[in-house]
Amino acid sequence: MVDKILKITNVAKAFGAHQVLKDVTFSIGKGEIVGLLGPNGSGKSTLLSVISGFISANGGSVNFKGRELLGRPAHKVAHEGLIRTFQLPSMPSRMTPRELIASGARSKLGLSGVLSRAALDGVAVKAAIKRFALDPVADIPASSLSGGQKKLLSMAVALQGKPRLLCLDEPTAGVHPNLRHRMVEILRDVAAQGVTILIVEHDMHFVRGICDRCVVLDAGMIIADCEPDTLTENQRVVEAYLGKAKVGFAT
Amino acid sequence: MLQFFVDVILRTVDLALIAVALSCVYSLIRFPNIALVQYATAGALIALGLQTLGLPLYLAIVLSCVITGLMAVVLSVLIFEKLLDTSPPLAMVGSLAVSMIFTAVFLVTVGPRPKRFDLEIMAPVRWAGVSITPMQLVSVGLTMGAILLFALLLFRTGLGRSMRATSTNRVLAEATGIPTRKVINGVIVLSGILAALGGISISLKGEMGAQLGFDLLLPIFAAAILGGLGNALGAALGAFTIALAETFVTNVNFGWVVSQDFYFLPASFATIVSFGLLVLILLFRPHGLLVSEVKRV
Amino acid sequence: MFDFLIHVSIMASLYAVLALSLNLQLGIAGLVNFGQILLFGAGAYGAAFAFSNQLGLAAGIGAGLALAVCVGLLFARLGRGLGGDYWGIATLAVAEACRMLLQTGGDLTGGAQGISGLPPLFEAGSRQDAALMTLGVCLAFLAAVYWLCRSLTHSRYGLSLKILREEPQLAVSLGYNPNALRTQVLVLSSMIAAVGGVIFAHYISFVGPDQIVAAETFLIWAMVIVGGVGNHFGVILGAVLMQFLFAFVPFAKDLLDMPSDYVAAMRLALVGGGLLIFLLWRPQGLVRERIGGGHRGG
Repeated sequence: MVDKILKITNVAKAFGAHQVLKDVTFSIGKGEIVGLLGPNGSGKSTLLSVISGFISANGGSVNFKGRELLGRPAHKVAHEGLIRTFQLPSMPSRMTPRELIASGARSKLGLSGVLSRAALDGVAVKAAIKRFALDPVADIPASSLSGGQKKLLSMAVALQGKPRLLCLDEPTAGVHPNLRHRMVEILRDVAAQGVTILIVEHDMHFVRGICDRCVVLDAGMIIADCEPDTLTENQRVVEAYLGKAKVGFAT
Repeated sequence: MLQFFVDVILRTVDLALIAVALSCVYSLIRFPNIALVQYATAGALIALGLQTLGLPLYLAIVLSCVITGLMAVVLSVLIFEKLLDTSPPLAMVGSLAVSMIFTAVFLVTVGPRPKRFDLEIMAPVRWAGVSITPMQLVSVGLTMGAILLFALLLFRTGLGRSMRATSTNRVLAEATGIPTRKVINGVIVLSGILAALGGISISLKGEMGAQLGFDLLLPIFAAAILGGLGNALGAALGAFTIALAETFVTNVNFGWVVSQDFYFLPASFATIVSFGLLVLILLFRPHGLLVSEVKRV
Repeated sequence: MFDFLIHVSIMASLYAVLALSLNLQLGIAGLVNFGQILLFGAGAYGAAFAFSNQLGLAAGIGAGLALAVCVGLLFARLGRGLGGDYWGIATLAVAEACRMLLQTGGDLTGGAQGISGLPPLFEAGSRQDAALMTLGVCLAFLAAVYWLCRSLTHSRYGLSLKILREEPQLAVSLGYNPNALRTQVLVLSSMIAAVGGVIFAHYISFVGPDQIVAAETFLIWAMVIVGGVGNHFGVILGAVLMQFLFAFVPFAKDLLDMPSDYVAAMRLALVGGGLLIFLLWRPQGLVRERIGGGHRGG
């Protein structure tokens, strides 16, 4: 039985009258790569923001490494080792990718950092730049990177913090197919080092290529929790994506 | 007692129109335009200039409002839009800079001493223990009329609907065919007119000078923020509340506190109170007393 | 003339210190502080209060620092959950409210006349010698603050502040505590400004509410924006430039044969015009911030 690193129980969230998350319950085992799927509007990004502390929940509990996360501020959640990326990563115009990667390290974030050098030429930073193929753009303003490069950069920055649980918000959206291969390789490496990964995704091909397990969210509830290959056989999943009308289609 | 109420209303007149203008513009483009108080002074001074040139007062006022409205939109297009595109916080600093330049121009053209409209000296009206001059009444009437017309515009006209749609969700409004750029520019002209009317109202019942703008800046901001920055009519209510607090603080006899027959706080305490209120609001309810939904992170 | 130059140089170096302090907040941490002059005033009044109570210079420095840190903490508390625009207005409101309270404070604060009679820092031979020594102290202090700011921004901590400034959400997602960082910057900046205030109080020998009007904050802002927001050397340059221009205005007025009233207007136009011109056409200032290259690790 795999150790559960993240246990989400009965999480609910409403924005005004709109109940985005109704009753979400699932868990993730240590070292697993789990895909979080669902049609648009199902609440995937909201769930991610709730888990990572950016949005408050109206109910339920999120247990990470044995500790309750709900109600804790986002920066504390990140400090615990749950690091997330953003769907549309906005990158600064007055910092370079090198600086950003260096700032990802989870140690000496506060005043204690006054006495440390910025370590821009450090081994870890150089390795990250190489790993994510950011060499040609490492020292230009980060805002001038392409969308795909920004996605890679945000992954590189998140990984510098040596997370225990890495939550990726649509990592392949807008990314060139060649770079996607690289992403899959990197994520496999990362998982092999013991990092648990939760990926919010649309791209089924990507998901099939990397995820051990898929959890499907629809209208704020989990409707499936299975292996990627069995997804298309799941009637509820198919209906959720294509609507209740039975339209003839080829698989 | 009634005199107290009259004093509150008169102080409200100082703040209301410019606060409404400030909130109105903010609701559409999220830009707190510090220069608006200078538009108010400009409106008053231009009207005065026109009257000095021989125009009848009401015509001078109308013309001044038009000129100020146009000036507002020209400055917006040339300066503020550009700054808002580069960096929103710097847009506010830019409006501060414009404000300073305005004051410099006023000091040079009009001088540091205050000026008055050329009006007949009329005796104050006394009624029910209240003393009020006809010009003060005109001032109040002008302010209330302007607010009423503005409210009608906002809720009963197509333009008002477009304004409310654009302020709620600009992208969506654009998508439903509303010419948001035109609406925004129209609102800016309107804000200039309202500010000018505000300045003129103040000047009709008293005097105007180069310093008028900056002295009113923070109480007006307090009024607008109290009503919820972006809630234009809330700003009018905010102005009333600030006026109430200020008048109360300076009119209450605190003699019993210091064991004297009479002790009134000096007039400058009124301003301290409104600033203090502003700080308290920002500490505990930054989105104003009337807004329930918290939008900011 | 020489005396006048010494005076302007002292003022320029003190303004440069204030500009460095504001630059830490604005340029490095992204904090829009319109109450900067109050931090300076806290230092000056702290020195004055110590003097009124017959306490020495050390007490003056202590009191100044303590008062300024209190203001800094208040600013920080206001900053929790307040967006940039609102916070800027809040700091302005606090600064103005404090100025008015000091003005109406009567015997407690010296009222509109303020507190006078503060002893100079040095009892030297001639007035000029004393002034030169004060200038020396100011320049030494300026150099120290410059060194401090540079070290700060080139350290790991500097990265923390920059990422907070640029992308607060990203910073939070990596574990940075925005409130803690902002509070630290405000406390440090306020201490720097306060020491400047103490030096000033003893140099000018009196302290009054007219010294902490909002226009002074706006002048310091112009120094930072014109000089180069985010660049420490740049803001020193901006401070020296603006201060010398300011000092030159009365001469210009005489040269151009303008009435005395015009001095205030010209200074306003200088500050407002400088700010606006640079915001529109060179927002990075005269000396731009060095992006990426400033840190030397390894």
